[in-house]
Amino acid sequence: MDDNVRKLSEYIDKLNAEQRPDQHESPEDSPELERLYHAVRLVKSLKDPALPGKDYPERLAAVVRNRQRQKSRKRFWQRGMAAAAAVLVIAVMISTMLPFGKADIVHAMEQAYREVEAYHGVLEIVSTSAEGSRSLRSKLEVWADKEGHYYIKGLEGWQEGVITANNGMKKWQVRPESKEIYVFPAFPDPYSFILELGSEIEQAKDALSTRVVGEDTIAGRETDVLEVTPKGGAPYRIWVDKETRLPLQKQTAMQNALQSTVTYTAIEFSPKIPGELLVLDVPDGYSEIDKNPEQYVNNLEEAAGAVGFMPIVPGGVPEGFDIDGIAIVPGTGLVKLYYTAQDKDTRIVTVQGKAAGEFERASNAVFAKVNGSPAEVQSPVQDGRGILEGGQYDGMAGIRSVRWRQDGYEYAVVGNASLDMLAQFATALAGGPVEMPEPGEGLTGKPQVEVPVNMEVEQNEQKSVDAGHSPWRLDPAYVAQVFVSLEMSPGGITGDYPIQYEELEVVENNGVEAVVRVGGDKTPIGKVYLERLVRQDSTGIWTVVGYDPAE
Amino acid sequence: MTGSKESKAYKQDDKKFIEEICSQTWEKLYRYVYFRVQNRQEAEDITQEAYAKVLCRWGQKASRPDHPMEYLKATALNVIRDRWRKTKRKGAEINLEAVNPLETAVESPAEAATLRVMIEDALKKLSEDQRRVIELRIIKGFSVSRTAGMMNKKETTVRVIQYRALQALADILETKDLVKERRDNG
Repeated sequence: MDDNVRKLSEYIDKLNAEQRPDQHESPEDSPELERLYHAVRLVKSLKDPALPGKDYPERLAAVVRNRQRQKSRKRFWQRGMAAAAAVLVIAVMISTMLPFGKADIVHAMEQAYREVEAYHGVLEIVSTSAEGSRSLRSKLEVWADKEGHYYIKGLEGWQEGVITANNGMKKWQVRPESKEIYVFPAFPDPYSFILELGSEIEQAKDALSTRVVGEDTIAGRETDVLEVTPKGGAPYRIWVDKETRLPLQKQTAMQNALQSTVTYTAIEFSPKIPGELLVLDVPDGYSEIDKNPEQYVNNLEEAAGAVGFMPIVPGGVPEGFDIDGIAIVPGTGLVKLYYTAQDKDTRIVTVQGKAAGEFERASNAVFAKVNGSPAEVQSPVQDGRGILEGGQYDGMAGIRSVRWRQDGYEYAVVGNASLDMLAQFATALAGGPVEMPEPGEGLTGKPQVEVPVNMEVEQNEQKSVDAGHSPWRLDPAYVAQVFVSLEMSPGGITGDYPIQYEELEVVENNGVEAVVRVGGDKTPIGKVYLERLVRQDSTGIWTVVGYDPAE
Repeated sequence: MTGSKESKAYKQDDKKFIEEICSQTWEKLYRYVYFRVQNRQEAEDITQEAYAKVLCRWGQKASRPDHPMEYLKATALNVIRDRWRKTKRKGAEINLEAVNPLETAVESPAEAATLRVMIEDALKKLSEDQRRVIELRIIKGFSVSRTAGMMNKKETTVRVIQYRALQALADILETKDLVKERRDNG
């Protein structure tokens, strides 16, 4: 019975997520469960069906045409099958000629990319409006290698003449219009050009689903068209060269009546990026504007001399990581140790400095503990506080952090690695374990007053936030501020909010649920309870689900 | 007209025919399939499979029927049966038609409306807790944890209420008396 109760609940969860339950594909031993699944479907039929994306009929037509072509090819080959020996040969030929399956195509891309060291191409970025009008937004010359180095030059469009490059030590941008060169730290680098081959393949690998939906010819090359449905995003398509097995084109879904198509109109492969492109050379008449706040030093002693304390070197960092730089940030008393993994792409920085003021967590941070001390975890970093203040890491895709205090010092581990990896560094630095809450781990209390939620409204709101609107819905403190303010002024808010943002404090946050304490003497509400109801990650909106009246 | 020109003309005609039929009929077929499977992923796949099967058979212009929707619906239903009958083949004694008499019956808006009333009536016969769990979990689509929070109950309790509610609902829907009662009232 217990097992059936669980299975039935999982079945409902699958349907709610608009996914095919396993029970529809594989046998279920219990006729009773089959009967209950049927009852679930009947009840769910009271709701409107979830419709596919706007491009579904187009996709459908492409798949049917593709199937017809496959069928006619199969007939052609079958006519020639006279001898048993020939069957095997032809089967092999067919399997290599027909569009490959979902798993194969992603695997084939991975394999093909392994052989690539560097590449050089011309990228065209075209926008298409809902009415179908197309316009060239920009044309770029691209050089990139697998160590994260790149050189991008605008050939046409709004970036014409602009050069952006990163040689692993520093990053710079040449802006001919103002005759300026901006210099930035090499890591973290928020810039990533669209259709960077390695990232595209990784995204396809991590996607919720991928499937071949047709064939096409791009820039004179035969391609398979692959539809990729990422986790928590709109499906998009990539065109994969049948010969090189590498992506040639990417097309996003129509969003805000605009669709973007990015195409390599030419691409060639090379052992490396030409050295002269990765040297910062300031032309005559150009001024250099250094935005890099860090200064590299030669050893720990030099760092200690500059900041006034001997930095701690984490003992026993994860295998494959090597220290490749020590930097200080003049004027702040911070020391940074840079580590790079063997893949040359994963970088982790440990930051340390003397603690000042109270330890405050960012409003969106998950509460954790490091070696028994309160800690914050941001994934990704959205609001750098304490020793991460300054915005160097804020809002950068894939950059995560763990920050805590210990013995009068503040520490942080930041990087484009998994939280597990960061936790290993933090453990090595603190000399004690990192305790992270499990996603959805219960909070310490329940609201005294529940607030009803309309899931349809929330789902639409999530879509709106995904499209770049109302970003405040991603901040539990801000959502609580609006909720409390509307409770105090039900007719609407004019001018300032009656409750200030500073009067709100996130006191619990496990990543899925949060509690915000409301300060001040005017508020009728003491605590606001929130949940990420639609999506349980950093892109999920917060919704008020209850509150405690002020005491 | 040369052979290759004829072949090209056929191909263009094929392409146009496929695009037209997909754009004109997809939503009706998709809704028909969705009603039965109640999830987008499977509805998309089965709709696609039905079109691929039917349209591959209609490669020649002469073999195209005047009312393609009937063929598409029948094919889609067969695809669902083929997929779901795997269950039966592998041991479970399930008779799809017997289990799903209501599903196979719904063909018109009037029938769909009748079924809707029937399900709503059945829901009214559940206890208050059972009805609330079904409403929160299936109609509103909340997680067990959220439902438990809203009903101030433990998650395990919610799962058990949900199970018993669906047993009761299935019993009610399978009772001929309900159909009779509805006819008498209607």
